[in-house]
Amino acid sequence: MPSEHITRAYDEELRRLANTVAEMGGLAESQLGAAIEAVMTRDTELAAHVVEGDVKVDQLERELDNLAIRLLALRQPVARDLREIFSALKIASDLERIGDYAANVAKRSIALSQTPAVRPVHALPRMAHLAQLLIKDVLDSYVQRDAAKAYSVWTRDAELDEMYSSLFRELLTYMMEDPRSIGSCTHLLFMAKNIERIGDHATNIAENLYYLVNGTPLEEVRPKGDVSSLEVIMPDRAPQ
Amino acid sequence: MSPATARQAMPISPPDLPRTEAQPALRHKVLIRNVDFYYGTFKALKNISMPLHDRRVTAFIGPSGCGKSTLLRVLNRIYELYPGQRATGEVMVDNENILAPGLDLNLLRARIGMVFQKPTPFPMSIYDNIAFGVRLYETLPRHELDERVESALRRAALWEEVKDKLQQSGLSLSGGQQQRLCIARAVAVRPEILLLDEPASALDPISTQRIEELIAELKADYCIALVTHNMQQAARTSDYTAFMYLGELIEFDETERIFTHPKEKHTEDYITGRFG
Repeated sequence: MPSEHITRAYDEELRRLANTVAEMGGLAESQLGAAIEAVMTRDTELAAHVVEGDVKVDQLERELDNLAIRLLALRQPVARDLREIFSALKIASDLERIGDYAANVAKRSIALSQTPAVRPVHALPRMAHLAQLLIKDVLDSYVQRDAAKAYSVWTRDAELDEMYSSLFRELLTYMMEDPRSIGSCTHLLFMAKNIERIGDHATNIAENLYYLVNGTPLEEVRPKGDVSSLEVIMPDRAPQ
Repeated sequence: MSPATARQAMPISPPDLPRTEAQPALRHKVLIRNVDFYYGTFKALKNISMPLHDRRVTAFIGPSGCGKSTLLRVLNRIYELYPGQRATGEVMVDNENILAPGLDLNLLRARIGMVFQKPTPFPMSIYDNIAFGVRLYETLPRHELDERVESALRRAALWEEVKDKLQQSGLSLSGGQQQRLCIARAVAVRPEILLLDEPASALDPISTQRIEELIAELKADYCIALVTHNMQQAARTSDYTAFMYLGELIEFDETERIFTHPKEKHTEDYITGRFG
């Protein structure tokens, strides 16, 4: 982050704002990791811990909002400083949603652990791993103010979309083959969707970072790989 | 040339202006071209070129000594009151170079009004403060002069406050009222261009807001150049901003662009408070 304002306190406040974003990001990332671990190990205690942990993410967002409002009111920021604050607010909002999705995965894992395990669950960690990587990379790009790295996250989300589409079809097939699995598979489907949405929020963060660094929005059309919403589902025909 | 004729004769072709990002969609009332300015041997302005658009506010910002007030002073040749000061280059107002020798400076200053940092009411009545300038250029019957005074005071948003005490001294007004009186005085001679040199820097926040509101109203009729140290004021009141540093024009652009995403690092460092 560029520094050396004549008023040093201004630098310190901006640094605190950026550190809060980074802390929120780290927490959201670890919440997702823990949620997936809870799913795979059927650890309801860990899942409950993740659900409770979401409060901390929300709390950090409120802190960040207060910091940003204070900066806007007292410093009347312009140019790069204004973009720093504007981006921090928007990124925090994405991170808060990521936290919510992680908590939702954890919550569903408690229900899922009450039912027999289903095969497609094994696709979930792969998706979560990629989502975590996207969060990690976009947070690194934020810390380093690296627009090129953010851009790469922005394009890589298509891979997560494709994983989701593929799992969507697999789960549909599974449910058609064995209607007793519908309960578990529906939970899994929502979990996968949550993780896919986490990827979308990572791309939002990447767009904000791009704007923060360059001062102009990223106007390209983002590559998307989620085709599940176009899927025609017929009970007598397995999805292709 | 009457103001009406003058306004019709404005050049519309975009000039060759370095580092200028603004769209040339508006008419240039003033075109500053390659202007240098000297205080004796000291070169205070270095090759300044930029337009001032009609019915728009252009703010000049920059640290002390950057040349912004000097540039304003060039625009009505007020520097000629002091020996050893000279400007070279061209300042085209409509199609006429006002730096050319032989120009009637009194007429020029009627076309280009100026308001200074410190309110400078004359030690005479409020009425005469306004009428004084008008009488210099025109001989009007009493009722027309009365109308002109009222109209100028209304334009300066002062009429309601002073209409019952026009014969009181201009010096009896508050600082903010005095500054609006000076603006009324400038407006009364029906200029085409208004030069405002830090017009609100000596005023309290409420008076400052009144002046800013007044600038917003006046720009419907005038081309306005504003020198200000207050960057928020430049951001609030101007359409275009010129950032100057050490006698050079570093960047000229739409104000919105300057304050959100300036092109030059120097500009950004200045407006974000990274160098003094």
